[in-house]
Amino acid sequence: MIDHLLAAAIVFLLANLALGLWRIWRGPTTADRMLSALLFGATSVAVLILMAEWQAIPALRIVALLLVMLAAIITITYAGISRASGSSDQPGGQQR
Amino acid sequence: MTWALMMDVSLAIGLLFLAWQALIGGSLLRGIIMFIVFGMVLAVAWAWLGSPDLAMAEAAIGAGVTGALILVAYWRLKRVNAVEPADPSPLRSGVALVVAVLGTGLVAALGLASVAALEGEPVAGQLLNEALPETGIGNPITGVLIIFRSLDTLLEIAVVLAAYVAARAALGKRQVDLPTPSRDAPLMTALVTVIAPLAVLVAIYLLKAGGQIPGGAFQASALLAALGVMLVLAGRLESTLAVSLWVRLALIVGTLVFCLMGLGVMLFGLPLLAIPGTWAVYLIEAAMMVSIAITLVLLFAGSDGLKGVGR
Repeated sequence: MIDHLLAAAIVFLLANLALGLWRIWRGPTTADRMLSALLFGATSVAVLILMAEWQAIPALRIVALLLVMLAAIITITYAGISRASGSSDQPGGQQR
Repeated sequence: MTWALMMDVSLAIGLLFLAWQALIGGSLLRGIIMFIVFGMVLAVAWAWLGSPDLAMAEAAIGAGVTGALILVAYWRLKRVNAVEPADPSPLRSGVALVVAVLGTGLVAALGLASVAALEGEPVAGQLLNEALPETGIGNPITGVLIIFRSLDTLLEIAVVLAAYVAARAALGKRQVDLPTPSRDAPLMTALVTVIAPLAVLVAIYLLKAGGQIPGGAFQASALLAALGVMLVLAGRLESTLAVSLWVRLALIVGTLVFCLMGLGVMLFGLPLLAIPGTWAVYLIEAAMMVSIAITLVLLFAGSDGLKGVGR
């Protein structure tokens, strides 16, 4: 029973990611895309923690921990790029 | 349809879509973001396949450091050209077709070979499982890397050093500028203050835990490198062309400790590169962690050294 619940929760989170993917694909601004990429990071962490319980592989929690620590690096890079190119939300300035 | 099959299908479709979008994406920046997300989903896929070690490496290198590297490269490209870089669509290039055919052939050949290898008896794996308990190391991957195939690992750490020397020789005495957010941004200070000590703690944990459970020097060094890159981008560390003795020592300590250990054991009648005990495994791993981490950060910053920036 609990296995089914965990699996269903993971599949639900993956469905969320599919919607996030649509946001990355569509944009329209780079900030939208970047935020959606960060959503991928956070949701991946949730998927990994549930998977560690479901598959009984405790080491997956360490993978989740690593992903949490590393998500910040993309944010900082993006913040730097936005500032250095003088635009608040679109470093590329493109709308495609 | 079972849950497991749903996972397989959604991860496979998602990865193929992301890979396609990363290459074909309408603009360069969109392709980069697709590539970063591809790294995250690939880490989840490795985890799903029951390989936490590969998932960790992918999360650290693929989603973390490489993403930042490509974003900075994009920013520098924009500054040089001051226009949107040309459409990166690879479909227009004839070379791409040749590379795609060769790449597909290689993957197919490897896949067929590994399927054929499943038929036979897993000799190496069995030998490893029999020999591992005597070493005191519980994680088979660390056992293979440091004890059973130590020459390979020694050459790898030497290659990392050689790559750094080559990159420095190619770049010469030029300062590389990096995009840094405002030093006064309130969230930045809080983020760095929270993340930096935690990252060091987790890296040391990964190193220590790597002896028994998934983890180890490479994952720990990737995390430390990501921390270093973060500090450089946040303006807490500044690249400098002045070379300090400490930086040079940190660059070579991995190769040095490994070589000294490998030769030193011969004095006690052991063969070359024999590992005398678990303490030696952890010592070599710690030295490699420092060397790999500092090499990656210096490669990222394109500098000879780093110095702290006072508040």
